[in-house]
Amino acid sequence: MSTTTIAPTTPENISSIADELLEQAISSDKSIEVKNMTVSFKTAKGVYTAVKDISLSVNKGEIITLIGHSGCGKSTLMGTISGMVKPTSGEVIANGKKVTAPGPDRGIVFQNYSLLPWLTVYKNIYVAVDSALSDKTTAEKVALVETNLKMVNLWEHKDKLPGQLSGGMKQRVAIARAFSINPKILLLDEPFGALDALTKSSMHVELLKLWNMDHREKTIVMVTHDIEEAIFLSDRVVVMNNGPAATIKEIVDVPLPRPRNKKDIVHDPVYMTIHDKLLNLLIDKFSIDD
Amino acid sequence: MKDLFSAKTALSVLYFAAGMIILGGIWALVSKISKNEIPNPQATWVVFKEVMHNPMQNDPDYKGIGTKLLSSLGRVAIGFGLGSLFAIPLGLIMGSSKIAMKMVNPIVQILKPVSPLAWFPLGLAIFKDSPHASIFMIFICSLWPTLINAAFGASHIPQDHKNVSKAFGFSQYKYLTKILLPFSLPHIITGLRLSIGVAWMVIVAGEMLSGGQGLGYFVWEEGFNGGNIAKILVAIIIIGIVGSLLDKCFTWLQQKFSYAV
Repeated sequence: MSTTTIAPTTPENISSIADELLEQAISSDKSIEVKNMTVSFKTAKGVYTAVKDISLSVNKGEIITLIGHSGCGKSTLMGTISGMVKPTSGEVIANGKKVTAPGPDRGIVFQNYSLLPWLTVYKNIYVAVDSALSDKTTAEKVALVETNLKMVNLWEHKDKLPGQLSGGMKQRVAIARAFSINPKILLLDEPFGALDALTKSSMHVELLKLWNMDHREKTIVMVTHDIEEAIFLSDRVVVMNNGPAATIKEIVDVPLPRPRNKKDIVHDPVYMTIHDKLLNLLIDKFSIDD
Repeated sequence: MKDLFSAKTALSVLYFAAGMIILGGIWALVSKISKNEIPNPQATWVVFKEVMHNPMQNDPDYKGIGTKLLSSLGRVAIGFGLGSLFAIPLGLIMGSSKIAMKMVNPIVQILKPVSPLAWFPLGLAIFKDSPHASIFMIFICSLWPTLINAAFGASHIPQDHKNVSKAFGFSQYKYLTKILLPFSLPHIITGLRLSIGVAWMVIVAGEMLSGGQGLGYFVWEEGFNGGNIAKILVAIIIIGIVGSLLDKCFTWLQQKFSYAV
């Protein structure tokens, strides 16, 4: 904000001020910026490069999915945004700050729910809120847990242990936990991979419902290998090349209007075109050779 | 409690009784072969009743079997308690830090297989007092299973749980109380269960060496030196039953603190 206090306005610097203001206005719209990022790991067999020279920017309130084959580095890319994985070179900016470690401005939903099995549903969320939002009062924390558990319709199950819940319910707890710390960015790492198709479908709708209730202000990045899921949920689908040294193959826009209807959307010609395109990008062979 | 009298329970009781009868048969046979050098079950039962008469007698010149048992249990409790207080934190530190593991583990591997009997004279030299020496012996010997199990628990915390702690920014205290301790607790209890077993085995040897007190002294002095083999058998039965009850307590704790994933 120091630029606005520059003293005399002369014709020479007025354009540069305008430029800077414009850039600020644009960059404040950016939720995540990945800049020329490479991630390598040291392994027994030498250095393994998971993703190479990736650049990607995600707007505020955008839903974006990362899709690709297993081991293509999509989870690694996600990990650098969450702060769990450190880039070897390049950088990640999230909410205007360089990512160096995980933080409460980025909520994470893990692939395998990652609930603490010795804590009840209620306490699983409460410890997360208590840690991430430590400056809030106890009453505020309690209220947050209650609101979010009710939002995913699990209030009546609040005293159960995770072991007593179905997979879908566990994932709803994990989602409620991520939402309850009210992060600007929500990171979902193959969140519905372990669920059956029916549960998965209803979870998609629930996720969008939560996103709507929050005025579509949260940026959501999700890793998946499910094309239908990717199209139904996202504004853009990032298709990744196969690793090692994976890069972004193509970014496919999904210009379908919201709210989307699961039943009708599949008959939409735009949906079908995108579906075909993604299928072609991901799969080389469509039938066995004669 | 409603299925206490179910067919399944009745059958287990029946099998238990059958096992006891077979054991009693072998015992009687051994007794017969040794020409009653080893007293038979009936003779032992007579001595058992005699021993159990006024078990809580606590005169300066003679202490009943119950009093002796309590004094043994008391020493086990102190030695085992001190050992656990030492072993649990050290084990958790070993399990959490690779450096601590590398420093302490070789020492543990060397000291663990040392016989309880070797520690007793050292304790005597340190404390100049045999009851303290037997507590020292129990302390040292009952330390290892708890230490090793606590270290195993703490070093096997799943990455998922650690990720939760990172993602939501748990403080060290929160990590300790909400992840490290709850995850390690079942392992610690397994360690405690093994440790109390060791402590109970060691106490008899310790009291034989220290003399004057407890069940070990009873076995040695009243049984062997007193030429009353039946008393040795009675002591063996009592030691066995008490040991299995102690084990049951920890099995119960194990079940209470296990959780479904």
